[in-house]
Amino acid sequence: MTAEGADAKGVGDTGTTPSTDQPTANRATADESRVPGSLGRIGRVVGREVRTVARTRTYVVLAVALAAVLLGLTLTGSATAGYVPTVADLLTPLEALVPVVAVAFGYRAIVSDAERGELDVLETYPVTAWEHVLGVYAGRAVGLLVAVGGSLTLAGAAVAVSQEEPAAIYATQRGVDSPILFARFVVLTAAFALVVLAVAIALSALANGARSALALAIVALIGLLVGLDLALVLGLVEGVIPDAALVDTLAVSPLSAYRGLVFETVITTAAGTGPQAASPLASLVGLVAWLVGSLAIASWSVGR
Amino acid sequence: MKGNTSDTPRQPAPNASDGERRTDRARPPILEAESLSFAYGDVEILSNLSLSVDAATVTALIGPNGTGKTTLLRTLAGLEEPTAGAVHYHGPDVPREIGYLPQQPAFRPGFTVAETLSFYGSLVGESRADVLARLDRVGLGDAADRRVEALSGGMTRLAGIAQATIGDPPVVVLDEPGSGLDPGMSRRIYDVAREIAADGTAVLVTSHDMELVERSADVVAVLADGGVAASGHPTTLADRFDVDSLLDVYEAAVSGDHSRVRVRGETA
Repeated sequence: MTAEGADAKGVGDTGTTPSTDQPTANRATADESRVPGSLGRIGRVVGREVRTVARTRTYVVLAVALAAVLLGLTLTGSATAGYVPTVADLLTPLEALVPVVAVAFGYRAIVSDAERGELDVLETYPVTAWEHVLGVYAGRAVGLLVAVGGSLTLAGAAVAVSQEEPAAIYATQRGVDSPILFARFVVLTAAFALVVLAVAIALSALANGARSALALAIVALIGLLVGLDLALVLGLVEGVIPDAALVDTLAVSPLSAYRGLVFETVITTAAGTGPQAASPLASLVGLVAWLVGSLAIASWSVGR
Repeated sequence: MKGNTSDTPRQPAPNASDGERRTDRARPPILEAESLSFAYGDVEILSNLSLSVDAATVTALIGPNGTGKTTLLRTLAGLEEPTAGAVHYHGPDVPREIGYLPQQPAFRPGFTVAETLSFYGSLVGESRADVLARLDRVGLGDAADRRVEALSGGMTRLAGIAQATIGDPPVVVLDEPGSGLDPGMSRRIYDVAREIAADGTAVLVTSHDMELVERSADVVAVLADGGVAASGHPTTLADRFDVDSLLDVYEAAVSGDHSRVRVRGETA
């Protein structure tokens, strides 16, 4: 087929350079210097996600509800006793709440764009799959960190104003309560949330539609909250996991890794004694592996 | 908006015989499908199909439902991987080579039209002012601050066309841009397509609206049985088939029982 219209014109075959007879008279001249690089493109996607999170009432309600629950647990719990007792109070509820909130922030992030056809449209722009996934992840992470970090900061503030004895500023020795230990707990919780968010983003990329995304999210939550820990227990009972390797093997489960890190770096530090709950290094490696692996799967799925 | 509002079909170039057109081919097409095949599992949709698209033209793909128009369009846009054959892009090296309007365009809710297009524009270095100019061009300037979920079907389609032109891609593919719209809006959308082509862009559309295609397209390719059954300017095709309209060309080129839905790969 060829151009048969009266105004049909051709394009040069240079492959990279428009020919002089190319009909570009009315076309705006592209300013190559304004085209963003890889980081710039990721930044554009991040901005879009941050605005999406900020404008979605569900996320705002979720963040407020999380703050209310944590504040309530803190004030009715060990706020007067100090930071570390509050950490002990909040740890178990957070093991369930953080995955739920993180999955809620991420499980539709990519599948919604795919359902609307916007992923196809984005594919015609110079944005690679990994740039898109990283941008979506980072943007959602901002919202999640505000929700989780903000809630825990409020809880910490509640301890600060409720505590009956002044806390030592620096935990220079074991057995000392300290806001530093609480801050460490906040960082670890935020890291756990980011790992679960990465898993949710991966599931969102793999899902065929909103329903399958929801189903996958529920399965993932059950797996993260119960399944992996049960598998570890089963492995221990059956002798697949040697007793000596248990502390390291716990790193396989993000939840166990998080719990172990909190015990090892916050609670045991404050208590000054106790059995080794986890290997901090293995736990950190486990969390990083889950995060990087999930984002890699998401990038592969978007790019396929 | 300027545009071709004439009801008369666009005429082929004077004295543009097939032989002379081949001489024009010294300049290669901007987009070329070479021996394309595409199959969903065992069902072959496209079979050894070749097609070329020239700059500054509106090329329309027509054919019965299920003949692979959308599949071909998506393959040409690089959104589907052919099972055999290849797509060659011969245009300039630009950040965005091909613009794409999906069959049912939709945008992320919660954003205004200007915000949505500004996001896309920012990926290729366009400013908000550039994007607003594109909205003006498709006649949506007054809706720039309207939320995308509050747009009508036609307005969404126009916003989608504005999106497809962001970055000035040398090729723009529009999947049934007038589908489901009232006649006035459909005509407006095809007028916009003609304007885009007048700027030098190769515009490729799929459509079932023979009247609009006949009026707007420079080149028509009739798809049937996994390949191109006929192609050329609407008037040239009508002459070739010795009929009066593109609809008659369509019926002559597409063999078989028109009262039955043709399903590729099955014997329905």
